[in-house]
Amino acid sequence: MKRLIPTAEMTLGPFFPREFAAGANDLTQLAGQPVEGEVIEVTGTVTQLDGKPLDNLVLEIWQADSRGRYDNPAFLGWGRAATDANGVYFFKTVKPGGRAPSINFLLLYSGLMRQLQTVMHFEPGNHPESLVAKKEGPNRYRFDIRLRGEGETPFFED
Amino acid sequence: MIAIDPRDPRTQPESVVAGYVQTGWRWPAQPLTRRAPGPAELSGPRDLSPRLPLVRGDLAGYGDKRAIGQLIHLRTRVVDEDGAPMPGAMVEIWHCNAAGKYIHPNDEHDAPVDPNFYGAARLLTAEDGLIELRTIKPAAYPVPGTGGWWRPPHVHFSVWGRVWLSRLVTQMFFPGEPLNEHDAILNAVRDPEARSRCIARLVPKENVLVYEYQLVVRGRKASPGMP
Repeated sequence: MKRLIPTAEMTLGPFFPREFAAGANDLTQLAGQPVEGEVIEVTGTVTQLDGKPLDNLVLEIWQADSRGRYDNPAFLGWGRAATDANGVYFFKTVKPGGRAPSINFLLLYSGLMRQLQTVMHFEPGNHPESLVAKKEGPNRYRFDIRLRGEGETPFFED
Repeated sequence: MIAIDPRDPRTQPESVVAGYVQTGWRWPAQPLTRRAPGPAELSGPRDLSPRLPLVRGDLAGYGDKRAIGQLIHLRTRVVDEDGAPMPGAMVEIWHCNAAGKYIHPNDEHDAPVDPNFYGAARLLTAEDGLIELRTIKPAAYPVPGTGGWWRPPHVHFSVWGRVWLSRLVTQMFFPGEPLNEHDAILNAVRDPEARSRCIARLVPKENVLVYEYQLVVRGRKASPGMP
């Protein structure tokens, strides 16, 4: 069979509707019911080359449930947030389970011609230290993202 | 099981583009790390609607609420790399009004707002992978601070395939637009065929303005459809 070539990605642009960016950053509820697991907050600041924080950058996440499953119909492990004018994003979710818990991040923004992929880890391991979130409180994790320049976050190509 | 293959970079846009200065501030300077897709990358949300409600299946409106501009229909099919239609795929569409103005508060372009146009829709594809959106044709507009770059008329698309790595965000262009030849974003795709696939086709033999467009999401043997 003839294979089709995936459509070229293009930048999200600066005008992704606010309505689309809002209201999807809480993974602790599904259809009005609380999901199983330890509730955590994940926050961070996204900056560019000169350290300037980026406004209205879109982050999407994908994670396993509290037992490490990606196919639990009672948990929707997908969320979306947008940064505010200070470059800060915020997710409320449950801590993923599994042997090496992590959360996939996908970034979309004006000036990013294609999506950027990275991963937030909870524990040190066989990955760069900069991909490990900093624990700021009993249930709060910080994962700052530097797109380019000093302290640049590692990004992936699959 | 779904297979995701590496892409041919010529069929994707270059990451740092002359004439689009923000690309040099934001795209990583370090090369991307090659990663073999694992369970997290080869799975994905089955039903996004609890988190992303469907909104506005029509952007043109009727009567007193009719948006200003040329009425058009966008007929878009979502398929995988096998060419198999993707039923139940969520698609987000947004574009500027007939004067080149977005609904977004950050749009400082000096152009009028149309009170009857809210340019954002979220739909699900039908059994045949199709969505049809009745809307108005967006205008070209100058990009502030670029010294003369005008974006050609275009429509933004965001679509989910079956797995995390199938996510696609792109822009659709209109055929016959002179600005297409010069656009820094469209022309960042080096392969001319890949570029031409980003341009919609005006449906022949129909006496209406229907534009056909196909979105190919990553993944093969992903049929039949989304559960």
